[in-house]
Amino acid sequence: MNQNSSPRGFPDYQSCLGRACRLEWSTLGWMTSIILVMYFTMGSSQAMKTAWIEDLLALVPPLAFLMAERFHGRPPDRRFPWGYHRAAAVAFVAAASALALLGFYLLFSALSGLLSQEHPTIGLITVWGHSVWLGWVMMAALLYSALPPVILGRKKLPLARQLHDKTLYTDAAMNQADWMTALAGILGIGGLALGWWWADSLAAALIALDVTHGGVTKLGVSIREMMDETPTPLGKTEPDPIVARLREEVEKLAWVESAEVRLRELGRRLTGDIFIVPAEENGLLEKQSAVSEMAESLDWRLMDLTVMLVREPRGERTTPDSGG
Amino acid sequence: MNFRWIPHVRRAPWLLGIILLGGCDLPRDPEGTLARVRQGVMRVGWSANSPWVESGGEVPAGTEADLVRAFARSLDARIEWRRDGEQELLADLEKYELDLVICGLTRETPWKKKVGLTRPYTPTGKQVLAVPPGENAWLVKLEYFLDHRETAPQ
Repeated sequence: MNQNSSPRGFPDYQSCLGRACRLEWSTLGWMTSIILVMYFTMGSSQAMKTAWIEDLLALVPPLAFLMAERFHGRPPDRRFPWGYHRAAAVAFVAAASALALLGFYLLFSALSGLLSQEHPTIGLITVWGHSVWLGWVMMAALLYSALPPVILGRKKLPLARQLHDKTLYTDAAMNQADWMTALAGILGIGGLALGWWWADSLAAALIALDVTHGGVTKLGVSIREMMDETPTPLGKTEPDPIVARLREEVEKLAWVESAEVRLRELGRRLTGDIFIVPAEENGLLEKQSAVSEMAESLDWRLMDLTVMLVREPRGERTTPDSGG
Repeated sequence: MNFRWIPHVRRAPWLLGIILLGGCDLPRDPEGTLARVRQGVMRVGWSANSPWVESGGEVPAGTEADLVRAFARSLDARIEWRRDGEQELLADLEKYELDLVICGLTRETPWKKKVGLTRPYTPTGKQVLAVPPGENAWLVKLEYFLDHRETAPQ
């Protein structure tokens, strides 16, 4: 397939991809503005600091997506004969490990703040000639930090589904949940205003838990892809019905006695092997190449399938049962 | 999609802040310093550091001492002075055994993680006053006083 064209069966592929890239660029822009606002207002609030680091980490998925996109388009070459489809997964393993570690660190520092009864000190700040308690400004900054990611997340989610892109999907899901971080922060600072010194550290601990959870989830997603897990629908763990369906379609062919299919994810696409026990031996070469043609018309994600003729069925069944 | 309501939502916390700041007495002190000092006793630690805190026998002189006296007057409070080394004073401030420490401290002090500091009380200087950690109503009261006092210190 020409890498710059859309796959058969998904003519809008390139325009969806373009929209996703533009959304990720605007995510980078909005998040940068949020990070600046948060940085200048965080003062000595642990909750603000934790929320700020979470926002900083929110730059990682869009960056991974956009950088991987550069590689995605590259055709296979001598050094990487399977192509560059997994660039995003590689970027994600690295980012997710860092995310999980940082989450644990933030959790630790929030809990130690609680244990040592740290009372965060927040004084006045001058805004346009008026002296305002910095806590109010922090709450405003947190509120500002809640809106853009939620809107961007809502826009990214349908694109992630169409493109079947896990990076984009995880990013969108995290963005959509971002308002909870802001809410936790606002409640923390609000509690501080009421004289509850522990409210800030408690909010920080909750946000740190969210960072850790995000890191562990992302790590799981990318490691499972690298382990050649059977394809799964976005955000789910049960097998994708396409595997069972492909086997059924192959077994419907008159010359096929039985078939076995194993697929794995390659970024957004699916590839794998079809093992066929033929019922007759005439004209197998032509029939064999017709199988991959037929398969690729079933689902746009299927590509570069290997069709193998075998004398007898492989020992174990690796094709998951159809979702019935 | 129609997101015209967003600017209004963004304005909400400012309005909320102004209402709260005017309406109730927020932020509050976890340890109640401001309420205790008002019309009561203000425990001030001092350590000589010319010209900000000058040694004048039992009670200090200098710019910071004058600031504290004016602040106490504004709160109708009596000052209980205690002279000691900077280290001892700040350690006691951290334990809420003092309400204010003056010793010509600057905003770069390593104590800034342990105790509360005001903003520099002159536009050009670096000197700050130290308050107990997390006593935000007390700190806001003092900073507001420093911002709005009639006569600027030399």
